[in-house]
Order: sequence, then C-alpha cells, then structure tokens
Amino acid sequence: MTRLLSILGRAYVIAIFGFIFLPMLIILVISFSADSYLSFPPSGWSLKWYSTVLGNATFMAGLKNSAIIALIVAVLSLLLGLPAAYALVRMEFPGRTLIRNLILAPLVLPAMMLGLGLLMVFTPAGLVATYPGLVLAHLVMTLPFSVRILQTTLSNLGTDLEEAAMTLGARPLQTFMQITLPRLMPGVIASSSIAAILSFDEIVLSLFIVGPRLQTLPVAIYRYVDERTDPMVAVLAVLLIAISLAIVLVVERSVGFAKAFGR
Amino acid sequence: MTLRPSPLADTAPPHIRIDRLTFDYGGARPAVDALSFDIAKGEFIGLLGPSGCGKSTTLRMFAGLLAPTSGQIMIGGQDIVSRPPWERNLGLVFQSYALFPHMTVEQNVAFGLRLRKVSKEDQRARVAEALRAVRLESYGSRWPSELSGGQQQRVAIARAIVIEPEILLLDEPLSNLDARLRDEMRFEIRDIQTRTGITTLFVTHDQQEALTMCDRIAVMNAGRLEQIGTPTDVYDRAATPFVANFIGRANNLASRLSLVDGQPVLTCDGQTLPQPLPADVPENSATGNSVAAMVRPHAIRLRPPAPDQISGTVIRRVFVGSMIEIEIRLDGGQTLIAELRPNSPDAALAHLDARVTVDWLPSDMRLFAS
Ligand SMILES: Nc1ncnc2c1ncn2[C@@H]1O[C@H](COP(=O)(O)OP(=O)(O)OP(=O)(O)O)[C@@H](O)[C@H]1O
Ligand SMILES: [Mg+2]
Repeated sequence: MTRLLSILGRAYVIAIFGFIFLPMLIILVISFSADSYLSFPPSGWSLKWYSTVLGNATFMAGLKNSAIIALIVAVLSLLLGLPAAYALVRMEFPGRTLIRNLILAPLVLPAMMLGLGLLMVFTPAGLVATYPGLVLAHLVMTLPFSVRILQTTLSNLGTDLEEAAMTLGARPLQTFMQITLPRLMPGVIASSSIAAILSFDEIVLSLFIVGPRLQTLPVAIYRYVDERTDPMVAVLAVLLIAISLAIVLVVERSVGFAKAFGR
Repeated sequence: MTLRPSPLADTAPPHIRIDRLTFDYGGARPAVDALSFDIAKGEFIGLLGPSGCGKSTTLRMFAGLLAPTSGQIMIGGQDIVSRPPWERNLGLVFQSYALFPHMTVEQNVAFGLRLRKVSKEDQRARVAEALRAVRLESYGSRWPSELSGGQQQRVAIARAIVIEPEILLLDEPLSNLDARLRDEMRFEIRDIQTRTGITTLFVTHDQQEALTMCDRIAVMNAGRLEQIGTPTDVYDRAATPFVANFIGRANNLASRLSLVDGQPVLTCDGQTLPQPLPADVPENSATGNSVAAMVRPHAIRLRPPAPDQISGTVIRRVFVGSMIEIEIRLDGGQTLIAELRPNSPDAALAHLDARVTVDWLPSDMRLFAS
C-alpha cells in the first residue's frame, strides 16, 4: 500500500515537472530547426535561426536596451530599497507595521492598470519611450521585492553585531559599512538579481511605455510573434530563458531562493 | 515622578557610581527602578536576579545602547549618560557572543584597536597578548564558525578586553555553555579579570555563579536593588526575605513576637523558637506582630523531643549522597526542610515518623517583619 502510494507520488511529481518543463524542452529542440516554419519534430537541424537572431537589428537593439535597463533597475532597486528596508526593520515610526504588511500590495494590482496609470503620468512628463521612463516603470515592479528581501535579511541579522561594533568604538556609518553591509551581501545579491530578472522579462508595463525609438527585447519579441511564427521565436525564447536562468543560478549559489525571500 | 533622595554616601566619588538609574519601557512599572550603587576600581561585581528583573536593561544603559529615563552613570566623577556607545570605552560581551562572522578571530579582536587607529605593529602585539590571556594564541587565523562555544566566548572576551575598557560588561556569558565548560569558564573569566584588573559587571541569574565568582553581588528584583554585598553578606545576612530565598535554600516560618519577662520571644503556632533571638529583631516589629523567621536547611539541628520547644514529625527522608534531606511537619502544621550529615547524631534521630525538636544557633536565623 505504502509502496503503491510512493510510486503514485513519484509519478505525480514527474507529471508536474513534465507539464512545466516539456514546453521548454520542445522550444529548445525547435530552436535548432532547419525548417522555415514552426514544426515538431523539425525535419532538419541547423543553427541558422541563431545567426538570424544575432543578425537582426531590432532584436539586438532590444537586447541592448533591456540589458541596460535591467542593470540600472537592479542598482536603483538596491539603492532605494536598502534605506527603506533599514527604516522598516530598525526604526520606530507611526504606520510602520502597516507599510510592512502592505509592501507587496502594488503587485496585486493588475499590471494593465499600473501601465495605464503610468502612461497617463509619463506622457505629460515626456517620459514615454525614454530610458528614465522605462526604468521608473520597472522600479514599480521591482522595489517591493527588493525591500521585502532586504527586510528579511536585515531582521534575520539581528542587532547584536552592530551593537557589539558600536561598543568597540564604531560610529554608525563605520558600523554600517564594516558590519551590516558585509552581512547583508546575500540579500543584496538576491534582491539585485531578482530586480534584474523582473525588469529583463517585464512586458505588460513596458508595452505602455515603449515607443518606436526605444523598445525592449520582450516587446520586440511580442510584436514579432504577433505577425509571424518561425523558429526564430524559439531561439528568442531560449535566449530569454538562458539569461534568467543564469541570474537565478547566481542567486541560488550565493544564498538560496527560499532564504532570500524568507518564510 | 518625585525624586527620591540619593541613598549613596556623599564622600569622594568612587570609580563608578550609578545613581537612581531608571529605565521605563512604558510597562506597568519601570524595568529598572532607581538603581543606585558604587563600584570600586578593579572590583568584580555580580548583577544577580530572576529573569526579567532588569539586569540586561541595566547593562545596556551602561553600554549606551539604551538611554536612561532618569538617573546617572558616573565614571571617574563624570556622567557618561549623554555619551554615545562608541565614545564610552566599555567592553560588552553578549550572551550570544556576537562575533563578526566575516572576520577571523584576529580581525575580530583587532576591530576596536583598528577603530582607535592603533598602529599595525601595536595591534598585532596587543591582539596576541589578548589571545594569550584567553588561551587562544594559536587560533588567530580561524573563523568564528570554526570554534566551539567556549572558544567563541573567549574570543568575545578578548575582543572586549583588548581595548582596555573602563569597565567590562558581561551579560550571562555562561548560559549557553554546557555544565562542565561553564565550571571551567567561571574560573577562567575570574582569572582573566584578576590578571587584567579590569572593573567588571557580570550579569547572571545563577546564584551559584554569583557566589563563586564575585567580589560583591548586587541582588535585583523587579527593577530594584534588594541588597549589595559580599557573597557571605548576601548569603548569611540577607537584607530582605527576597534575597534570603533567592540565594540558597531557605525555610520561612511564620512566627509571632511577644515579650516574656521583658525579653522578646518568638513563637511559631504556640511553640517557642530557639533562644536567644538575634540582636537585630526588626525594629518595627512591636509585640504581637508577625515575623518571618528564615533558617537555612543546613543550619538545622535535631534534638530528642522537648516540651514547649518547636517540634514536629519527620515525614520524608531522602539520601542525596553528600547529605540526608528530611522534611519535618511541625505540630502547628508548617513544614521545614533540614539537611543533615550522614552518620551524624542528628541523622540517627531522623528516621521516618520520629518526633524531634528542632534547634539552630541564633546567628543562623534571620528575622523579617511581615
Ligand atoms: N524592548 C522591550 N520592550 C518592552 N519591555 C521590555 C523590553 N525589553 C525588556 N523588557 C521588559 O523589561 C524587563 C527587564 O528586562 P531585562 O531584559 O532587563 O531582564 P533581565 O533581568 O535581563 O532578564 P533575563 O535574565 O531573562 O535576561 C522585563 O520585564 C522585560 O519584559
Ligand atoms: Mg537579560
């Protein structure tokens, strides 16, 4: 009986994983196709679609834009999120608990609504289809995550080390730089990486803010898929997955996801 | 809040004086309530009291991690209350040790020296000396995670003493160690303190620890100082019933004071307690008042039953190795615990259900008005 259950359990887990990873596997296979249309299994093999993508100016411009924006968003998310997390964990002020509990609330709003709101504010401000505009829009998505992750790291850290440093003669800034910050590194890496991934993959908000002069890779892919489907789409998907996966591995290696998010 | 007069002597300022130190977290009563006492240079003072009595709060005020609600902490005649922690030059050892995990043992110990801009050479020499003092000279390049609990704790002590602090503050430093290591570390801490001569405030809720290690013990209860004195003082001459019962085991007999032929006499449920009474019968206990008589179990002697003297029946007898512990139900209903030496004449009297008269030396009894 237990044996049967354990076999069933294992089969179930495999089924779930298959459900999640089979589409990715199929995409990976198709990306090496020699056909000029989407078909599975492909009738021949080649790397031609990879070279087509690398030679496509729209996609390469999108990749460059997305990378630059992701980098800036990652840095700003950290620089803005760290003081906020510090205040939420270490300082007493009215409304602290409320803000702590609501910090992830912006993510509950439909992205469509956020995008529309941002567009209405950004148009008069001249921020549409600009780097600052896209960065700001992405920060709306990434900041709650960054603050939450840094908050968890900070409260796990406790105050003993900082207090010990201060009694040994360290001023507050020295304490922060020499004790708090080095101990926060796992959270810093995790929050920046997740901000980078979220920004790099973001599409709904970006769709509202991009313009002909400036578009991100996910938006370029979306527009392309809208018109045509060929194995180039599969190549693009593989590239997106590979980049995100690389960042995830960095986080997993340095801290572990569960630890970074807490609870 | 009315300012109580300071109970401290008005003579030359001592090395350290805390004067009506108070801290209020905003609870029903202050966590530390008008605490006052003096500490001499080089003294090893124990801060002893039950959990939640305000020991850590007191220590944190010393270290500057909490600002007192009122009161003063004077070091060398200067009030340090307004100084931030990094300007106090105090060594604090946490219960959790709080070693910096991203620094080696050497770097941990050198941290305070580096901030004081001590030259690299002097740093090396002083770190080596401090590590020698805690017997960890060969562990300098290890990481804290590679040390045992006792070793981590010694690093924490080395890190605190290397800056030559005005006062060393230890917050229950032994409570995370197992029993054997705790006994060793008691010795080591006291030994290090004697060699360095650093004035030390040692927080503990373990009376045994306080009695064996400290020059003087400040006993706290509910934020207030109950008594400060040498281990012998607080053990043999407890100033309050709380101290008597917190430090060591104690029997408390509810008794009544009366005058017989002009002499004060104590009776417990009609039976007379051993005479004469100690000289310090509580002043305010007029005739007819009830008095708590405190006697330690080991001070109790047994006699064959005698009329009118305080007597009872042995209702429990337990052999616990070095002694025999018995419980006596007095005729009036109260009970007493006595510790007897095995093979003593007293122990021979104390078989189960035997009637005995109890006796003790007047100097072994403490009286408290109740
Ligand atoms: N941050 C706080 N906020 C409110 N009350 C507190 C706070 N810290 C301590 N207290 C209260 O103040 C009192 C004294 O606490 P303190 O930590 O000084 O006790 P302690 O003597 O060190 O006890 P222990 O032996 O358990 O460490 C306790 O009643 C405690 O509940
Ligand atoms: Mg405590």
